[in-house]
Amino acid sequence: MITVTINGKEIKLEKAVTVLEAARSAGIKIPTLCWHEQLEKYGGCRLCLVEVEKMPRLQTACTLMVADGMIIRTETDTIAEVRRGVLEFLLINHPLDCPYCDKAGECELQDLVEKYGLTKGRFREQKRKVPEALEDPVLVRNMERCIVCTRCVRMCEGVQGASAISVINRGGHSHIEPFSGGRFDCEYCGNCVSVCPVGAIMSRLHRHSYRPWQLGSETKTVCPYCGVGCTVVVQVRDDIIKRVVPKLGTVVNNGLLCSRGRFGYEFVGNKERLTTPLIRKNGLLEPSTWEEAIRLIASRLSEIKDKHGSNAIAGIASPRCTNEDNYVFQKFMRVAVGTNNIDSTARTGFAGAQGFIENIFGQGATGNIISGLANSDAVFVIGGDPTTINPILGLQIRACSRRGGNILTVGHMKGLRYYTPLELRPSVNTEIALLEGIVSALMKKKGPPGSHPVLEARLKDLNAQEADLPRICGIQGKDFSRFIDTLAEAATPSFVIGKDMIQSKGGSYGLFLVSAINYIVNGRIYLLSERANEQGLLDMGCAPDLFPGYRPITYPEFRKRYENAWKTGLPDKPGLTIFEMMEAAKAGALKCIYVMGENPVFNLPHTKDVEAGLKNLSFLVVQDIFLTETAKMADVVLPALSWAEKDGTFTNMERRIQLVKKAVHREGMEDWKILSEISSNMGVRMNYSDAEEIFGEICRVSPLHRDLNYEEIEKGDAIYPYKGEPLRGSTDEIHIEKSAGREERGKLYLRVERPLFHSGTLSRKAPALVNICPEAVARISPATAAALSLKDGDIVRASSKTGALELPVAVDEAIDDSAVMLSNNFQGKGAFSLMEYEIDPVTKAPCLDSNQIILEKVNR
Amino acid sequence: MFRETAIKEIEAIREQYPTARAALLPAIYVAQREFGWLSPEAYESVSSVLGVPRATVRGVATFYAMYKHRPMGRHLVQLCTNVSCMILGAEKLVDFLKNRYGLEAGGMSSDGRFSLVIMECIGACGTAPAMLVNNDFYENLTEKYIEEILEKYR
Amino acid sequence: MERVLLKNIENPESADINEYKKAGGYKGLPKALGMQPREIIDEVKKAGLRGRGGAGFPVAMKWTFASADPKFPKYLLCNADEGEPGTFKDRPILEKNPHILIEGMAISGYALGAEYGYVYLRGEYPGAKDVLNRAIAQAYEQGFLGDNIGGKGVRFHLAVHQGAGAYICGEETALIESLEGDKGQPRIKPPFPVNVGVFSKPTVVNNVETLSNLPYLIEIGGEAYSKIGSPDCPGPKIYCVSGHVERPGVYELPMGTSLKDIIYDHCGGMKAGRKLKAVIPGGISTPVLPPDKIDCPMDFVNMPKHGSMLGSGAVIVMDESVCLVKVCFRALKFFEHESCGKCTPCREGTGWLRKILGRIEHGEGVDGDIELLLSVAGNILGKTFCPLGDGAASVVQNFIKHFRPEFEEHIRAGKCMVNG
Ligand SMILES: Cc1cc2nc3c(=O)[nH]c(=O)nc-3n(C[C@H](O)[C@H](O)[C@H](O)COP(=O)(O)O)c2cc1C
Ligand code: SF4
Ligand code: SF4
Ligand code: SF4
Ligand code: SF4
Ligand code: FES
Repeated sequence: MITVTINGKEIKLEKAVTVLEAARSAGIKIPTLCWHEQLEKYGGCRLCLVEVEKMPRLQTACTLMVADGMIIRTETDTIAEVRRGVLEFLLINHPLDCPYCDKAGECELQDLVEKYGLTKGRFREQKRKVPEALEDPVLVRNMERCIVCTRCVRMCEGVQGASAISVINRGGHSHIEPFSGGRFDCEYCGNCVSVCPVGAIMSRLHRHSYRPWQLGSETKTVCPYCGVGCTVVVQVRDDIIKRVVPKLGTVVNNGLLCSRGRFGYEFVGNKERLTTPLIRKNGLLEPSTWEEAIRLIASRLSEIKDKHGSNAIAGIASPRCTNEDNYVFQKFMRVAVGTNNIDSTARTGFAGAQGFIENIFGQGATGNIISGLANSDAVFVIGGDPTTINPILGLQIRACSRRGGNILTVGHMKGLRYYTPLELRPSVNTEIALLEGIVSALMKKKGPPGSHPVLEARLKDLNAQEADLPRICGIQGKDFSRFIDTLAEAATPSFVIGKDMIQSKGGSYGLFLVSAINYIVNGRIYLLSERANEQGLLDMGCAPDLFPGYRPITYPEFRKRYENAWKTGLPDKPGLTIFEMMEAAKAGALKCIYVMGENPVFNLPHTKDVEAGLKNLSFLVVQDIFLTETAKMADVVLPALSWAEKDGTFTNMERRIQLVKKAVHREGMEDWKILSEISSNMGVRMNYSDAEEIFGEICRVSPLHRDLNYEEIEKGDAIYPYKGEPLRGSTDEIHIEKSAGREERGKLYLRVERPLFHSGTLSRKAPALVNICPEAVARISPATAAALSLKDGDIVRASSKTGALELPVAVDEAIDDSAVMLSNNFQGKGAFSLMEYEIDPVTKAPCLDSNQIILEKVNR
Repeated sequence: MFRETAIKEIEAIREQYPTARAALLPAIYVAQREFGWLSPEAYESVSSVLGVPRATVRGVATFYAMYKHRPMGRHLVQLCTNVSCMILGAEKLVDFLKNRYGLEAGGMSSDGRFSLVIMECIGACGTAPAMLVNNDFYENLTEKYIEEILEKYR
Repeated sequence: MERVLLKNIENPESADINEYKKAGGYKGLPKALGMQPREIIDEVKKAGLRGRGGAGFPVAMKWTFASADPKFPKYLLCNADEGEPGTFKDRPILEKNPHILIEGMAISGYALGAEYGYVYLRGEYPGAKDVLNRAIAQAYEQGFLGDNIGGKGVRFHLAVHQGAGAYICGEETALIESLEGDKGQPRIKPPFPVNVGVFSKPTVVNNVETLSNLPYLIEIGGEAYSKIGSPDCPGPKIYCVSGHVERPGVYELPMGTSLKDIIYDHCGGMKAGRKLKAVIPGGISTPVLPPDKIDCPMDFVNMPKHGSMLGSGAVIVMDESVCLVKVCFRALKFFEHESCGKCTPCREGTGWLRKILGRIEHGEGVDGDIELLLSVAGNILGKTFCPLGDGAASVVQNFIKHFRPEFEEHIRAGKCMVNG
């Protein structure tokens, strides 16, 4: 126990902390500027100087560690004088343009000057003049206001790990610049903005349109973009979102955000939002009333049901909608329509992979705490770059490396390149061979753990060619050995699996092999998730074979339970997956699809096929916030409320249930509300008054949500399964389908880029994100560029069996020589439009890696 | 990007340290020599060889006074004007370089032959005033002596 | 006194290993290898050797801390940044007698248990870099460096790391940052380098001159060494004298030689017999002295008693032709240029002081400027992160303290008394 005296108050401390921390713990405030709780100690601003008895000089409270018996004074006349002096130094070159600065009101410098008073007029010299830097579309720098506290740089280097900005020059010429001096060209997380104590780095979104104190309402909610589920605070003035900021101390993202979360909110107020229902009349979508639209849908659905049976109707749920929306959606499909034809784009990978892994390790196997990654001593990454897919999770991997952990990657992960990854980059079509090699090498090194006979039995017939691996996979033998040694030595390894792994030929076998590696080294698995409520939607039973809480519909006793709860009989046959729906539509067996908050035309591979299927339907309903590609084909389009306009819950990839709260008001109905109206019109009454009531029902029917309620969620860690029934264990059967890709060396294959700045079709309605990354490009390796005589910016025609696009190329050292990377975000330029697929028989996910692509230069 | 020889050179330097990052200062010297100055390409090259983020490379480089952030003349004249040199007439020599060669502090002569950098102490105070031309010390300078010296650098 | 550190430097081949050996070099190292590391540190303690980099820190004490730290490997860094204006004492060792440094480092490395050493050499000494590299190669060849020094299985590897123009890199933690490939900005202490230094390992930083004392110290023993010069901080000391004396240059003399003797005996007195106006005794950061205060022994203990500091032993002598406002202005320009920018008072204050001094120097001073200078300097002194800022503030304070009328006259007349 350490005892110190601060301002006459005795403070007892468990362990040595800084004087600043000791003071704070006792409620004594010491002014600071360069200190920030998320950042490493710096000691540069000198605001926190305090008197310490027996020490000749004043000491900085933010760096000095307490020692037993220390006597400290933090507010004396001398200290006030010193602080005034320091503040004077900070102001001599300051433009004093507070009336014009968006930071005014929440500026730490302004507040301190107000507290300690100003020393005026002693500086007669010319002030430093630096024009405001407006080259960047999203961030503005005003270096006259910069106090060189380096908080932004320490954030960008030490926490975000992007190292995109630095202090340029030294001494009085020090200022902050991105590499180019103009545009940031960075990860645009905006975390530097969060920590800048003054108005020197700020967001340009809604610049000069608010004062911090005018941001009347603040709503703590969850980011609408990816499965990490970051807490965001939405700040609103006059029902317009002015800012989205993180909050210190929140579990998932503790004061950090990524570009999408921070700058992607403008879709909410986008002028292109749907405002009224649309009904196709004479081939054209015409505005209508809610009444008309709802009545039309109800009668058409009933009609089709009567004529063709319930199973002629299918529903596509939304990983962007809340649990409540999705719960009502599946209930509507099962009860009002009477079908299990319910699925979602989670089928493109997440759902099957999670099911597969849970089969081996038991339910909940992939629901690991994201922040735990930082404490792993090794992180194995495969199938996609986590720093772009799930950026805040990516930060935890970077933090792991910073703390001395090892990063092991199969394939190149650009966002981890400065984290000295041990990287194995197998040549095209040899990933499976490499994984087999890893399994067999680890088995030799560590031996079978012996706790999972089913899995071990499956390893018997492993076809490993370890000695030949370097040749087969084009890797270095010594890299492989280091990789194996590191993995074998790891005590707390983690495995991060991205979709590319799942969406490759033999994907389920690959998953099996990664699971086996995980098993041998006793790790834990993280499954990347691209959509905010992908997990929740599955939990809610938006799947053709599962009820809410993962109860298989084929088990009569489970079905009984739901029949009792919903007071109706339920269909007992599994329904169609989303891909089967498209097939059935094309074949004419399916007559109607009801789409809620999803854009299958764009978000499913093989666009033409999807279009053909949807065109063949006799009735297509789309409920969305924008007139998407799919909505344009619909017979009825219903405008929904967006995430910012409604209450509910999301469940993130750790299976943490979090509250989504209404931040702005908008006329219209929540998705669940629309569905209830239609249901009631079809004679199945749904009478929910609000989302909370729906959640109450969820907790009654889903065994995994038992006893949960909004208050509990608000309080803290509502991690699923919450007070629920015990987890289902692993099964005694593991289905494997060994199959190998058909890729040939020397050919180019299309790969899906999963960019940091976009997410499906939502982000393209967010101008800031579009400004950062405005167009689709085909990324190719320098070798490919050389072989095809292409250079950055050249326009190419990219053609595959299913179509062709014209777009610019970007030469990128991070790309494999066999690959062309194209994202699936931009209108008319999506990678999926060029892709055919086959379905993996086990995970039911599409295999997308066999799509050959040809690039030809277009001369303009 | 660097020539192959420069990459080899940096890799050899890197071996002298336990971390790649520690080779940053010497690598920037190599880049400066190879590219003539620290152009964006020079930074990118260092960044990719050592795996240090490019903004970091630039930040570190701009901290140090001897790295060159703009194109330089063929020969670098570094004249000291710190106190020991100043009290023995270094300032007059600054004027002389300007009048005789059109060399301004931090600038380049119009023929691209010389660049002039005004230095803090270069450790030749006992023989002040002094300068370095490229890597060579010249001491006890006078205007006439400077003319003689610079004749050697074409 | 016979020269030790600058022995033989008139020999044009003095940097060659064989010449060095001929002149008696590489005797201390074998002797040291025959001793226990602990014994070497004891000898250094007996000798009373103090660091020559400026602060005069007892060498044995620093070494004891580092050798007591269990972390491994340990590093020995030679501070050859020699940036303090007026200082050119390390350069002759580096350029003309590199083997005494290499031998000294090998001995020190052995004493500390350090297997790796770097010479952090200022970028402004390109010639010294070549000399050192050649000398290091020779030392490797002859087994004074490497994995098996003196056939005793002792390891010590040495390389040169070139700085790139930053005075602050002479400060030991900034030096470490710079060696690690970062900006040369001082680190928070504690932890001290002896525990967490370069690459987070125990590290000793010593000056060139300090380390070059080792071969001789070991050769003659601590006891004998302690008899040289000042009893409080014994040993030979290189004084480097510049400015208006008849024979400026480097002088290796017993520590504690009086400033007056250095100027008037060793350097042949004032140039052309002109009158002494001011002396900066230990490099520009040390307080300036007026002519009546120069009768003082130049060592770490006595100089503070006489109102200044030994610093690097760089004596800058100024005669009546010098305008001290201008010197002060130039000094602040230096500090402004060299401020690393980490802490507010130094980053902003040095520039402000320079600007005020510039106005005064250029005849644009106004009433109250002197008080303003003192007040701004006061707001810097004692509030900065490292001693650089203090140095800048104290330069202003001491110039005004001793030569205030000259400042006043500048402001009053709007021009310089000396140079018109
Ligand atoms: C601003 C500043 C500059 C310094 N410059 C040098 C220098 O150029 N050379 C040097 O040896 N020590 C310099 N020092 C002192 C070093 O920090 C350190 O004390 C010294 O290298 C220790 O070696 P020594 O004990 O052998 O003197 C400087 C210190 C400060 C604060
Ligand atoms: S936005 Fe993020 S990545 Fe960009 S400079 Fe700021 S902290 Fe770095
Ligand atoms: S931009 Fe802001 S955070 Fe960055 S150094 Fe300047 S004041 Fe500090
Ligand atoms: S990591 Fe995901 S949840 Fe977090 S801010 Fe980014 S997009 Fe939103
Ligand atoms: S006093 Fe502060 S700004 Fe000046 S050199 Fe030291 S740390 Fe840098
Ligand atoms: S807060 Fe302590 S020095 Fe800045």
